[in-house]
Amino acid sequence: MSTALPPRRRVAVAGVLATLAVLGAVLAGLAVGPTPIGLGRVVGDLLSRLGVGHSTLSPLQSTIVWQLRAPRLVMGLLAGAMLAVAGGTYQGAFRNPLADPYLLGVASGAGLGATIALVRVQGDGVPAITPLLAFAGAMAAVGVTWVIGGRGLRTATGRLILAGVAVSSLLTSAQTYLQQSSLGSMAKVYIWLLGSLAGASWSSVALITPYVLGAIVVCVLAARALDVLSVGDDESRSLGLPVRRVRAIVVVASSLGTAAVVSAVGLIGFVGIIVPHAVRLVVGTSYRRILPLTVLVGAAFLVFADTLARTVMAPSELPLGVVTALVGAPVFVVLLGWNERGAR
Amino acid sequence: MIEVRALTVRAGSRVLVDAVDLVVEPGTWCTVIGPNGAGKTTLVEAVAGLRRPEGGSVWVGGRDLGPMRERDRARVVALVPQHPVVPPGMAVYDYVALGRTAHHGLLRGATSADRRAVDEVIGRLALGDLAERDVATLSGGERQRTVVARALAQGTSVVVLDEPTTGLDVRHQIELLELVRNEVVDCGVTVLATLHDLTLAGQFADRIVLLDAGRVVLDGAAREVVRDPELAARYRTALRVVEVEGRDVVVPVRTQPTAATTERASTGSAR
Repeated sequence: MSTALPPRRRVAVAGVLATLAVLGAVLAGLAVGPTPIGLGRVVGDLLSRLGVGHSTLSPLQSTIVWQLRAPRLVMGLLAGAMLAVAGGTYQGAFRNPLADPYLLGVASGAGLGATIALVRVQGDGVPAITPLLAFAGAMAAVGVTWVIGGRGLRTATGRLILAGVAVSSLLTSAQTYLQQSSLGSMAKVYIWLLGSLAGASWSSVALITPYVLGAIVVCVLAARALDVLSVGDDESRSLGLPVRRVRAIVVVASSLGTAAVVSAVGLIGFVGIIVPHAVRLVVGTSYRRILPLTVLVGAAFLVFADTLARTVMAPSELPLGVVTALVGAPVFVVLLGWNERGAR
Repeated sequence: MIEVRALTVRAGSRVLVDAVDLVVEPGTWCTVIGPNGAGKTTLVEAVAGLRRPEGGSVWVGGRDLGPMRERDRARVVALVPQHPVVPPGMAVYDYVALGRTAHHGLLRGATSADRRAVDEVIGRLALGDLAERDVATLSGGERQRTVVARALAQGTSVVVLDEPTTGLDVRHQIELLELVRNEVVDCGVTVLATLHDLTLAGQFADRIVLLDAGRVVLDGAAREVVRDPELAARYRTALRVVEVEGRDVVVPVRTQPTAATTERASTGSAR
């Protein structure tokens, strides 16, 4: 690999840094916001809940921290971790560096489902049925992709990926048509599509947690299989890997987790494709190193991006997808350059 | 022991392997030769379980490979593919250790027995100095030795090699085949290989099978097959067998009249 640090030590350093980043993200998520509440007082309140010392937060401040910021923070951690690890897993399972969690149609399916809810259900705000329809749309889209391209699992993955492209295009055009035909709800649809953690609540967190945690565990456990898969389908099978089954398990888990995230926070781009690549640039190509670190880095990255999104132009918020790309792209370019220099 | 019984493999309507019967005795080396498109690769891939046959079956050690799961099959047959995929960024040690996948499974990591097996193969094939190297940076000879090491790490009684000397210089061709020969002699491994080089096929195999259009045309001791007139007929080329230090060297002989070359060469120099 590229620098003087021996890979094992480098992985350890990266692991420590990623863990610190998650801790930093947690503190930033709780303490930063339009209402200034000192970090020390937030930590004091947290400790008092554990029976140590006394809280100095007013009831209103306590509500802001624990009913607004905390669920948003947890949602950010879950969404960032899920999107990043699903992207990394797909990149391995399909041996395609351009793969992201939306590869098989999750995003377009969820977009269509959400648009149907936002356009058809009258009233202000986001209808309660939106996440449900988004989730159903996402799973239906992956299901259709699977049926069309499923035979591709045996021989090549190209067929499945192309089926995903076809299904995505079809559903996106249907979604766009629906969106254009109802000018009244266009803004709502647009905001939903850009993705945001603003709607996070403890109940929405509780709803998606089982899917997301389950999917993350499956993806991380699949790392060893993905390492074998790096020698291609045929050789993997000759080495004893049930390629078809591994890919099916990974797709089902990633789709459930991603669909759950998307149904709760909309379409957040960039995290799923760039975070795993950034981690790969630092720790090498083994998925046993990439995926666990991707979980941490994805979680921290999305929370930091969200903290920026809700503070830079407070009280209004920047779309989260804009911030992830705006912050993430330069960081990634720097990493690429650093890796290139080291490789020489 | 490998038993191929009436094996037929098709691609669409084309028959690639046509009712082939073949028995390779345990601890021996059988090389499949034949013109391009004869079905050699298809045959060995079917034996390695990568192709589902339309008819017939493959048995190893008295067990039918057909209904076996990938993992069980990988503990019986190992494959050295013709064009191995080289994953960039993977260390030689980790690459060889992929051969233990079927032993430790996917959820449990390598056990101490797996690590011992990998260390042992790496030592035997003199890959110790390369263990930390990125497989993508190896020379052709080193890379092919690493691929063979991965197959041997599988610890199978049968090893299938598809054109293992492709892209190697003469020295590395000989070295690689000697290494495989040692496995046959010292460890009792049963080898089924395909080779284009008839001389090497004759010198290293116990038995040679000539395949043409998916059918077995000749099957016998290496010395006999290389001398059989049918061999030259199937390749549509004149062949001579010359004995050098007790070993057979199969030489293709040009049949076009030499005059044509001289004439072209002289017109070339006149320009």
